[in-house]
Amino acid sequence: MDRKGIETAVAENAQFRGLFGVVGGLLAILAALGNASWGPLRHHWVFVVGVIVLAGLTWPIHTFYTDHFARATPSTKHQVRLAVVVLVAIPLVILGSLWLSSRASWSLDLPVNTTAITLGLVFLLSIGAAVGLRLHHVVIYGGLVILGALPVWERGGESGNTGLWLAGIAMIVSGLLDHRLLVRRFGPSTATGMGPDRAGV
Amino acid sequence: MPESDDGFLLDRLIHEPGRLAILTVLSSVADADFVFLQRTTGLTKGNLSSHLTKLEDAGLVTVEKRFVRKRPNTNVALTKDGAERVARHWAQLERLRAMSQPDPS
Repeated sequence: MDRKGIETAVAENAQFRGLFGVVGGLLAILAALGNASWGPLRHHWVFVVGVIVLAGLTWPIHTFYTDHFARATPSTKHQVRLAVVVLVAIPLVILGSLWLSSRASWSLDLPVNTTAITLGLVFLLSIGAAVGLRLHHVVIYGGLVILGALPVWERGGESGNTGLWLAGIAMIVSGLLDHRLLVRRFGPSTATGMGPDRAGV
Repeated sequence: MPESDDGFLLDRLIHEPGRLAILTVLSSVADADFVFLQRTTGLTKGNLSSHLTKLEDAGLVTVEKRFVRKRPNTNVALTKDGAERVARHWAQLERLRAMSQPDPS
């Protein structure tokens, strides 16, 4: 009986609700399209409606997960650890990306995509702290960081938008894979397969 | 007759494999619903229900039955006494395991 495995299972239950990640990814792409004033998104109100519609999807997604999957509240220790990462590490990552490339006088002003680097590192840190990284997180968000760190990006708004596109696609793919993991781990039970005296964790 | 060694005593209520699994899961969370406990422990519904009743009667867990959007939901949490007793039980098991290790010298 592995206590760490149990804590991981609890964190997985909360973290792998990947359809939220899909909505987040769609929001990032919507923001990129809005920045580029693409099609109807040249009207600001269309963007606002899009955000409201996507944000509105979170409630039925929450209901779906609550109704169909098991639920556990992570321990206080786990929540504190996650809060420390969010409050300390993520601002450091953002400051770091500004140091790499920004208009600030102290910036290194490198031709990198700080949006991709920042979002990739934020996701790697928060998922790592919450539940531990899986292979697909490392590949997807690590790939995002590497792409962003290539010294090929032009400075200015266009690369930021491309970063949003890349991050959006990363979040959608990762979200779908997370959801698949959740279904496998906590999906409908094949209870007849579990012996009455089995107590395996 | 040799004196009894409390180091060998295990809490019989907790030591049952199903109940030990339940309490170990609950000691890692703030609370969990019935389905989560079932999925992580591998117990059948009837078995889990029976164990939870025993644990609740002994004051080791609290079981809250409620309705969430018109569906029945059972939420379980460890009591303070339950947390202390399961921690003590695991410490006891660790002590027994250490005693069974051969002396390196």
